[in-house]
Amino acid sequence: MSRQKTLLERRYAALGLTLIAPTVLIFSAVIVYPLFSAIYLSFYNVFTPTLEGEWVGLSNYAELLQSGKFWNALKNTLIWTIGSLSLQLIFGIGMALVLHQNIWFRSLARSLILFPYFISTVVAVLVWKWLFNDLYGILNHLLMKVGIIDFPMDFLGTMPNAMISVIMVGAWKYFPFVVIAVLARLQSIPDALYEAAKIDGAGPIARFFDITLPQLRDVLVVIVMLRAIWDFKEFDLIFLLTGGGPLNDTQTLPLLVYQEAFALNDMGMASAYAVVMMLIMLVFMIVYIRRTKDDEGS
Amino acid sequence: MAEVVFSKVQKKFGAFTAVHGLDLSIAEGEFVSLLGPSGCGKTTTLRMLAGLEFPSSGDIQIGDRVVNDLAPGQRDIAMVFQSYALYPHLTVGDNIGYPLKKRGVGKAERLAAVAKTAELLQLTELLKRKPRQLSGGQQQRVALGRALVRDPQVFLLDEPLSNLDAKLRGYMRVELVELHRRLGRTMVYVTHDQLEAMTMSDRIAVMEGGKLQQFAPPAQVYAEPANRFVASFIGTPGMTLIDGDLSQTGGVWTFNAPGLSMPVGPLTDEATAGPACLGVRPEHVSIGTGPVQGVIQVVEKTGHENIVIIGLEGGHRLTGRVPAPQSWSIGESVQLTLEAEHAHIFGAGPHGARLNRPHETAPLKTKHNPDKTKPKLQKAANE
Repeated sequence: MSRQKTLLERRYAALGLTLIAPTVLIFSAVIVYPLFSAIYLSFYNVFTPTLEGEWVGLSNYAELLQSGKFWNALKNTLIWTIGSLSLQLIFGIGMALVLHQNIWFRSLARSLILFPYFISTVVAVLVWKWLFNDLYGILNHLLMKVGIIDFPMDFLGTMPNAMISVIMVGAWKYFPFVVIAVLARLQSIPDALYEAAKIDGAGPIARFFDITLPQLRDVLVVIVMLRAIWDFKEFDLIFLLTGGGPLNDTQTLPLLVYQEAFALNDMGMASAYAVVMMLIMLVFMIVYIRRTKDDEGS
Repeated sequence: MAEVVFSKVQKKFGAFTAVHGLDLSIAEGEFVSLLGPSGCGKTTTLRMLAGLEFPSSGDIQIGDRVVNDLAPGQRDIAMVFQSYALYPHLTVGDNIGYPLKKRGVGKAERLAAVAKTAELLQLTELLKRKPRQLSGGQQQRVALGRALVRDPQVFLLDEPLSNLDAKLRGYMRVELVELHRRLGRTMVYVTHDQLEAMTMSDRIAVMEGGKLQQFAPPAQVYAEPANRFVASFIGTPGMTLIDGDLSQTGGVWTFNAPGLSMPVGPLTDEATAGPACLGVRPEHVSIGTGPVQGVIQVVEKTGHENIVIIGLEGGHRLTGRVPAPQSWSIGESVQLTLEAEHAHIFGAGPHGARLNRPHETAPLKTKHNPDKTKPKLQKAANE
């Protein structure tokens, strides 16, 4: 039996709609429209400067899957994402554990650790390029002084050095995010759990694996999901550091999209790459949403 | 199974001294409560025994070992925490089995021990669940199970019942006493709840301000409080304490306060004429006839008895306790008798020592007798 809504209920409903309307409109303009626009463009052969072209159906996708460029970029994206994310996790968790201890410079260190994360990528990359430089870079200078190498190394111009360098800079730039998230969780683990474990005979290493790690599990899942998505679509750091080179050996999918759209002026192909990227990230998204739903359920 | 001895144990946190030179000797198989208000040092004392805090000076002994330099895991103790501190990601069974696992007990033996403990605590149905799926009382039992599974020398319990509702608390009190009787193990129990301490303990260590105030069986703590603090802390409703003066004429001591003058004694040799404090328990006030004049101010009806608060002439308030049918109206003038033979006299000051001469024949006087635990011991060994 349907019930007539009271005047008050209708007024509240109207107020609610009014309040969310601006958000919905902005969301549609900046997210929904570009999304569908990209999918639409991916079925055309579009010349970027004029945005004109003819319908080609799925042939952009067919070409994409057959081209070595796509698979090469996907491989590079995965190497970069997994390599950088692993290092971020190792250094991030390690640093969070150090900063969780009662050390005298703790509050200073906690602020300083955020520095790489807050610094602009352009600035960070310029500094790293100087550090890596083979003529006047301090890294080569120090390595030669210590005697590890006899001649300057080319950090960004050869493989695998370029990929390793990009991964290292990425890890340096983004590990503070892991530190902050893990530290916040560490501080909320009850001391009594550690005390109980001590009494039950667990040493420091056993306490890390039996108490700390399980307690960090949920936050680590969120960190891995978020950072994986962000690293997967990382553009500026890699573009500025190597531009995808040497040859295409550090060219990841976002760089390829950029190249197709603005260097080769093929917006249709670029859109097809972007849509495929989105589908890959959708897998991460689904896992992430499943995961958070599970947590709410329990 | 071991005795626990604190010798001149002191604990400082920076400039603050939490425990002042504690001397305490707990017999084998004894159930001892550390009782006191918050901040009295009872939890710090227990944590030092557990090895979670380290004494600034003095020695702690478990059995015949001085444990000062031993890690908590090496002390052969088990502890139940106020918050239970169950490992949230482990099942009930794995929680209970954890202390055995960390000590390298094989899987088959471990599962058998867990099953036995679970049966004892009626947790068998819950072994596969996670702690968050349990009620407070069930979590409490799991925490107990984790302590029991290993059969340690000493059990430490840090306010284990304080997170339970009143009914469950009453039930668990009985369970714990039962458990102690079955296991015959030394148990040290921290609480701020005098009812728990009184009902469960062989002896109570009353602490305040980081100092041991009295260490005696519950009945003695109640009947012969060592000082004014213990007298005021133990008993509900509390003992009435009236400040006044003590005087002696011809070997008979008299206590005087405005509107009140009564003979007291016999007192110890430490008693001197001058400021003192009179203590009377509510059950030792009889209303109806007597030399003292008072006015009924409040009547609290608890069902089986009435608590009566009476204003005395000098402005003091006295608490009395009478069986339920007897009652008075507010403002009514009454005559009172304070039973002199049950009156307590304390020296001046908040920690004034008790000056009554101990009752020679009182049955409450019996000190804790370590022999008492021997039959238990044999019983436990036979089991």
